[in-house]
Amino acid sequence: MSDPMLSSRFLPRFLLLCALGFALSAPFFWMVSASFKPRAEVEKPHIVPLEPTLLNYPVVLDWLPDPVTDEFLGVRFGRWYFNSILVALGITLFQVVTSAMAAYAFARIAWPGRDRVFLLYLGTMMIPGVVTMIPNFQLMVSFGFVDTYHGLIIPAAFSAFGTFLLRQFMLSIPSSLDEAAKIDGAGHWRIFWDVIMPLARPGLIALCILTFLGAYQSFFWPLVMLQDEQLFTMPVGMLRLDSSYGRQTELIMAATVMNIMPLIIIFVIFQKFLVKGLQLGGVKG
Amino acid sequence: MKSAIFSAFALFFGLYAVALVTLQSDSPEDNVVLRWATDPNPARDRQVAAFTNANPGISVTTESGDPTKLLVQCATGVGPDLVDLSEPLFETMVRAGLLLDLTEPAKKYGFSPDKTFAAVRPTLQVDGRQFRFPCNVNAQAVIFNKAVFDDHQLPYPQQDWTWDDFVEVGRAIRETPSKSGRKHIPLVNWNSSFLFADLLMAHGGRYFSEDGLVCLLDSQEAVAAFEHYHDLMFKHRVMPTPEQSAAMSGQGGWNSGGINWFASGEAAMIMIGRWFSVQAPRFPQLQGQLAAVPLPRFPDQGSRGFIHARGLGVNAKTKHPEAALKFLSYLASPEYGELIIRDGDALPPSAAMAPDGAALSNEQLPDAVFHQTFVDAAANARPIDTSPFIDSAQVQRWIAEFLERLENRVASPSELARQLTTEINRAIARNIERDSRLRQRAEALRGENKAKEAGL
Repeated sequence: MSDPMLSSRFLPRFLLLCALGFALSAPFFWMVSASFKPRAEVEKPHIVPLEPTLLNYPVVLDWLPDPVTDEFLGVRFGRWYFNSILVALGITLFQVVTSAMAAYAFARIAWPGRDRVFLLYLGTMMIPGVVTMIPNFQLMVSFGFVDTYHGLIIPAAFSAFGTFLLRQFMLSIPSSLDEAAKIDGAGHWRIFWDVIMPLARPGLIALCILTFLGAYQSFFWPLVMLQDEQLFTMPVGMLRLDSSYGRQTELIMAATVMNIMPLIIIFVIFQKFLVKGLQLGGVKG
Repeated sequence: MKSAIFSAFALFFGLYAVALVTLQSDSPEDNVVLRWATDPNPARDRQVAAFTNANPGISVTTESGDPTKLLVQCATGVGPDLVDLSEPLFETMVRAGLLLDLTEPAKKYGFSPDKTFAAVRPTLQVDGRQFRFPCNVNAQAVIFNKAVFDDHQLPYPQQDWTWDDFVEVGRAIRETPSKSGRKHIPLVNWNSSFLFADLLMAHGGRYFSEDGLVCLLDSQEAVAAFEHYHDLMFKHRVMPTPEQSAAMSGQGGWNSGGINWFASGEAAMIMIGRWFSVQAPRFPQLQGQLAAVPLPRFPDQGSRGFIHARGLGVNAKTKHPEAALKFLSYLASPEYGELIIRDGDALPPSAAMAPDGAALSNEQLPDAVFHQTFVDAAANARPIDTSPFIDSAQVQRWIAEFLERLENRVASPSELARQLTTEINRAIARNIERDSRLRQRAEALRGENKAKEAGL
């Protein structure tokens, strides 16, 4: 009996998928490999380091001096790590709560013009962020939010995409549940917290993951908003390792590997919800 | 669900409180704090320390000089006080009214254009008004790695070499077997626009006519420069093509690893400024191996390339103009110049401090001949000419884009030069048509030109 794994139909697909998988993961492996290369090797094309070193990691963390110059880098990597997580956590929490409330209003409450307002709200997703950059920044200046943590968190606390995603999810919850709760005397606040939110948990988790990933990797808004190095997030802080006077590739790669670790952990743990979230975004409401 | 959300908020606010409590103030509270947008570089820390020691009461913090960030921040009035500017961005910011006119203060504080190299003086000004002063001045030469030449048992390049000699040297590096068995790149291209600028100057070409009304990148000299650029890759094969670069580079990007290739001993030569020596301590294998010769010349002509300054401007909306002007005054001082000389960060802004190579010798590169090469390069160089009728940043973007097409052989050098010039001239015509100020200026210049032609 022939092995189904080697069947003529399966094998080409398998090889194609292997090739695609390799193409997608090669840059990642290259990044990890470069983070273990000494400076003299980092520009060479071989993937496996000839003289692998772990030193790049403690150098980036400022625990050890750069072995070549014998000087500490003077970067606040730990602080930037903490800032990235703090800001991403804040944005995620606020965005999930505000989006859930807005989604409830659009999905469960009948009010005049609701669908038109929703379309208008969705329309804001079509405007590129760069277009609103200066007006948004001007607002932050007026509020005195420049170079603060809340200047990073508050503008990202409201999201049309999050509202859309959760509205789609809430529409799939039977309305008979709200009616039963109303008969029992529950108001909107109670229905929202005690009926809809628990049932919308998969959607909320998906939004949490998507928002956290986006906020954690955000580069341009923190770059424009922040001046004090103590407030830098990781992507902005890593610019310190790349100047017109030289690119310390092996250190940038070590920093990048450490930077993406939380994302990989989150992805591995919650990938089921992430896929669910992506599917939700594609469902017609 | 409710308790999970409230717990997460409690955790967030707890972390937020910790973050705020652990923030440290880097400067005494009563200090004036100047923000300097520049590149992250250990040399900046030393430069700032010397200034703050001499000026108690003023602190200087450095931050990223990303152009988009600068434009957004300066446009909304919260930009850094001091801004490092390359030539194209400089003009854009002056024309947007974002920089302080320094013409009068420069005389009072001692950083007027006559304090620096004659060739860069025009690049500090727009329409005759001064808006910046150099942090350093840069003209390029060829730095070579003696170890690579020794490995191939080849003589070092000579001070008075021609472009033909250069090609011969490059071919010899490529074709002569080395003792180590390693192959080496003859010349790395780390910045296409800079290489083209040097070639254009060498061929005696210009970017624009004197009045700035016409782009001259399709002139005979400019086309020769484009062809020269093309031939270094495809005819003489002394510089890697984009495909070769991608195949060789760990980083995979054209030009991205050029400096690192040279620094890690993969290449024999690089056309670059004296500032490369800032990097030297990062690469111990280069110790004692670096030497410099002028850019190659054509027979019966001198070596010539382009010169430029990393200049410092002051945000027009700065809250601390006095302190900012003191900082610019410091750039013209001997103390600052000494730091530039010691670190090897290009040439000091004050021309008087760089009379010859011996004055520039430093610990990592004591050889006066090395530094003399850059003094001579600055003396023979010309700045990139600009036009008041078109944004220089846009022109440089287009040039970089067309050089990329040249590298990828999308069309012949002469065809690309013609297309590029047409595009720039169209943009000039459009700008003149749309902007009444530019129109008046163009009409006045055309009138002057006609009068000159008529011999009036």
